[in-house]
Amino acid sequence: MLFHIDDLPVYFPYERIYPEQYAYMCSLKQALDAQGHGVLEMPSGTGKTVSLLSLIISYQQFYPEKRKLIYCSRTVPEIEKALAELKRLVEYRKSCGLQESILGLGLTSRRNLCLHPSVSKEKKGKVVDARCRNLTASWVREAAAAGQDIETCSFYEELESLDLRETVPDAIYTLDDIKEMGKTKKICPYYMARRMIGYANVVIYSYHYMLDPKIADLISKELSKESIVVFDEAHNIDNVCIDSLSLDIMRPTLEASSRSITQLSESIEKMKQEGSEKLKSEYERLVQGLQDTMQARSDDLVMANPALPDDLLQEAVPGNIRKAEHFVAFLKRFNEYLKTRLRVLNVTAETPQSFLQHLKEITFIERKPLQFCAERLSLLCRTLELQNMDEYQSLEKVAALATLVATYDKGFMLVLEPYENDNATVPNPILRFACLDAAIAIKPVFDRFSSVIITSGTLSPLDMYPKILSFEAVVQESYPMTLTRNCFLPMVITRGSDQVAISSKFEVRNDPAVVRNFGNILIEFGKIVPDGIVAFFPSYLYMESIIAMWHEMGMLTEAWKSKLIFVETPDSAETSIALDNYRRACENGRGAILLAVARGKVSEGIDFDHHYGRAVVMFGIPYQYTESRILKARLEFLRDEHRVRENDFLTFDALRHAAQCLGRVLRGKTDYGLMVFADRRYARQDKRSKLPRWINQYITDTSVNLSTDMGIAIAKKFLRSMAQPLETQAQLGVSLWSLEDVLAKQRAQREKMERAAAGSHHVQYGAAEAAKLAQDRASGRVYMDVSL
Amino acid sequence: MATNGRRNVPEDDEDFIDVDDSSLQTNQANYAWEEEYKRSWDVLQEDEHGSLAGVVNSLQQAAKRKRLLRDTDPIQRGIIRHLFIVIDLSGAMQEKDLRPSRLSLTFTYLEAFIAEFFDQNPISQIGLIGTKDGLAEKLSDLSGNPTDHIRALKLKKFQELNGEPSLQNALELARSSLIHVPAHGSREILVIMGSLTTTDPGNIHDTIAQLVKDNIRASVIALAAEVQVLKFLTLQTKGTFGVAMNEGHYRDLLFEVIPPTAVTTTKAASNLVQMGFPSRSNESAATLCACHNRLTLGGYICPRCNSKLCDIPTECDICTLTLVSSPLLARSYHHLFPVENFVEVAWKDATSTTACFSCQKSFPNPHKISPQLQATTDAGRYQCKLCDKTFCADCDLFIHDVLHNCPGCLSRPRKQGGMTPSLTQAARLPSSKLGKTS
Repeated sequence: MLFHIDDLPVYFPYERIYPEQYAYMCSLKQALDAQGHGVLEMPSGTGKTVSLLSLIISYQQFYPEKRKLIYCSRTVPEIEKALAELKRLVEYRKSCGLQESILGLGLTSRRNLCLHPSVSKEKKGKVVDARCRNLTASWVREAAAAGQDIETCSFYEELESLDLRETVPDAIYTLDDIKEMGKTKKICPYYMARRMIGYANVVIYSYHYMLDPKIADLISKELSKESIVVFDEAHNIDNVCIDSLSLDIMRPTLEASSRSITQLSESIEKMKQEGSEKLKSEYERLVQGLQDTMQARSDDLVMANPALPDDLLQEAVPGNIRKAEHFVAFLKRFNEYLKTRLRVLNVTAETPQSFLQHLKEITFIERKPLQFCAERLSLLCRTLELQNMDEYQSLEKVAALATLVATYDKGFMLVLEPYENDNATVPNPILRFACLDAAIAIKPVFDRFSSVIITSGTLSPLDMYPKILSFEAVVQESYPMTLTRNCFLPMVITRGSDQVAISSKFEVRNDPAVVRNFGNILIEFGKIVPDGIVAFFPSYLYMESIIAMWHEMGMLTEAWKSKLIFVETPDSAETSIALDNYRRACENGRGAILLAVARGKVSEGIDFDHHYGRAVVMFGIPYQYTESRILKARLEFLRDEHRVRENDFLTFDALRHAAQCLGRVLRGKTDYGLMVFADRRYARQDKRSKLPRWINQYITDTSVNLSTDMGIAIAKKFLRSMAQPLETQAQLGVSLWSLEDVLAKQRAQREKMERAAAGSHHVQYGAAEAAKLAQDRASGRVYMDVSL
Repeated sequence: MATNGRRNVPEDDEDFIDVDDSSLQTNQANYAWEEEYKRSWDVLQEDEHGSLAGVVNSLQQAAKRKRLLRDTDPIQRGIIRHLFIVIDLSGAMQEKDLRPSRLSLTFTYLEAFIAEFFDQNPISQIGLIGTKDGLAEKLSDLSGNPTDHIRALKLKKFQELNGEPSLQNALELARSSLIHVPAHGSREILVIMGSLTTTDPGNIHDTIAQLVKDNIRASVIALAAEVQVLKFLTLQTKGTFGVAMNEGHYRDLLFEVIPPTAVTTTKAASNLVQMGFPSRSNESAATLCACHNRLTLGGYICPRCNSKLCDIPTECDICTLTLVSSPLLARSYHHLFPVENFVEVAWKDATSTTACFSCQKSFPNPHKISPQLQATTDAGRYQCKLCDKTFCADCDLFIHDVLHNCPGCLSRPRKQGGMTPSLTQAARLPSSKLGKTS
């Protein structure tokens, strides 16, 4: 359908639209008009992606600026889904008679795209990358061109000889399309996609291409400032930011890197003996300054700098590491120092400054050369024309640590732990270089692009994200879900049938009465819920201990009578087998329970729609392990820097994971499911207010303080009434709008505004209300109403 | 004093509940223990004498009629039906969420169902299958005799509930009996399932595919909730799926199975079916019957092979001829040519008639009923579109449910060689739309 938001014609590829989709588009346009950032929360399964794409494409094509859309998502399947949606949208626009050329494409790793007969057989991404470089690096190609007998990649060579703009017509290319195109034209799909990014209208790729400085520098450097950047499923974006700047170094890493250092010095020796001029010219170039070295083709860049582009020093490499031998010796010294540091017996935590201080005292290594470590190493590798870069991974890591530790002194922390985790008895020391501030990695994105949209199904409380990522949002909205029938039933079970309060609080979590009541919830719901039930625990450890206790109490045998039981384990292969069998049990009517962990693989990205999850139970509140030193440091940092109270952040983090788990069950308006919060603490206002609005809106007072038997009675009735046939006719106008409904809504809104403008006392009243609302919003208790 | 005492009961009981009540005003939901029930007094209005009787009557009538309004287009329906009823006899049937218990309610309803089914589908056959402990067992074979089935239901040993049901075993058992049924009869399975799981020996999806191939329609009534595999089964085999909300709804779902379903397979040519109309024999000495090998007095004699059978409708065990009686056949006909739905008469048009054409009961006089009351009730008279006669709600129900002929149309002076309206209708139909059994 075609409708207008203000002056913008929006083409929406479906006949009907959900009211929340319309509201979402309105806010999105507001953000784009203001050239500002936005935080938008919309329930899962209400067509977020399609509303986003159709508004932005309409916007892009209507206004002369033609702002490029960069859509970042989390996983490859999600990227595929978005691309398919985009393709459909563009086809719809064509069928409406629009004459336009839109180039859209997705980008993924070489492993998924490679066509080379032997390289594409490799399973590990790193190996594929390294082997690809062996075939396509400029020196390899030069040597081959000079007539030496060296293997090159025919696909890449073909690509080099073509003009991409002419060979590849404007269209939407899904990942499969790109590969197909590569096959028919015999060109390398990966590099084709990368080169097309520069002039594509829509680019869809993973977060990492935008956030991880090591990759972002390669891929996303040339994007224009006006581009619109969207992070979908962004509820975990702070963790992605932190991970992209954090490093773990263990003993095997250091062993491997010393081996690499030896190899480096050997190849330097070899090159010297061969009398090659290359080392010399490299040195001379370094003397002239770092910038000139960047002239080499960017595709050759074998190791990217781990620090953010703004933080790089634009000056020459310090003298003491300019010579290759000196640099290798320097690396060796640093590596040995790390080895001695790893020989610790107790846990130490220190700031980058004190680390540098200590380093200087022991090894006389200065801060400046350290900062250039990664840069220099990559340069050296290029000069030496090294093959098989995947063998240098560990060394790369050490160099990255050196650069990061010397570049940043705020928002980072070094933790040395002699044991991998608390239960381990064999010492396995680990050096964690942890980023504490999520804002560091994402700052360049916010600074560079005028509109960054963060969106997901679970972002509440909305004001948290601007705080921890330190940016200003012009639009910040949460949408409720309009439903003709209440197709999900959230309920808070606070006590068992014996009236003992249940909680995963540390003091009571292993209390037999609590464990028994948790078990009873599982057994009772197993009896009345058809097909699949998913139950989430706060952690693997707790899940294991509780399952062991259930087993002793004979509760598992009881649960087995009605359902099969599957358990998620940290091993992903095992888990995927369990998931497979779980789905089969749901399909053939046997019914199954899946026990999973709130922060595990299952809780993110795997949907339990329809019969795969008729009920989801959250046992306890999935707080993080608060004794972790890194978490403690991060909390302290948040308190000092962003004025976020520890407890607020912990609750926020726990509840976004809880909401994410419970949201798995509902994928669309025709689906239905139960959401059971099994913990006394969920009944409290401070917890409930942090749940997304669309869930909160359906938590009624009736369902907030239940015992197990009361919950069962309500659930039974719910399941019966949901099984009655659903008439689409009833949804029309309420939770599903046709074009007329949209127009009627717009008319009503215009009239309302005119009326408000006419009466002055109205304005006053409005202002007072707005002030109150702003106050409420600031305190995080009430969400702004969607003004439609 | 008493009021005082009551007031002194401490109100701070509520302090112990650790819940924020601030949103109470906005959410007008009930408490959990207050089951949602219809506040029927909001709908009611007294008439001028302060009596509710009239309004209550019209509410009841509306409820009765609701079930009646169905599709009356003449379509091809399979009136020779072979139906297996699969009854879940697992532990889940002990549940008491349907009173007195799922099982006893099921058996009560099934008795009524079987009687009604044979009344409406006299030349059809039913068989009963029970499933428990992962096994399926025939309670009674396919037969057209209601007493056999009702007797089977009353047997003690079938009322013991145990273990889990096996849907696959039950379907396979029904299928193996149904594939021998002649092609002109419909093959149906009705599953009544209380359990939410099934323990199957193999892949149930193979069985479902096989059912589709064999053209067997499976319908399901679930007593607890929607189970995916059951829904999938009905979708694949084009049956109906229902979940019983309460006792009344359960009965409605069950009785929806009674009218024969439309034939969906488009076999263009209607084929002729051989049928025998046996004569009833009265004997003074007992002879062996061909069906049970038992000594019986009297029975039916097959016109082709002269063997004696106990009951009709059935298939002769000796020469496989379908044996029916002509009244039975005639009774099945009304499904093909149902009486048109009667239309409700509005109060303003209600002046012309004073009494029901059929039972002569007088209608309420519209001039004596206040306009407010008229707004909430209906005039209580229903009109046949063909003969314009009006009937009361009870007669409407009786005509459509039992009589299957409109007295008004039938009592009209006969034209066109004495054909009744329903037969005239039949004559107008193209031959392909006629029942297969013609």
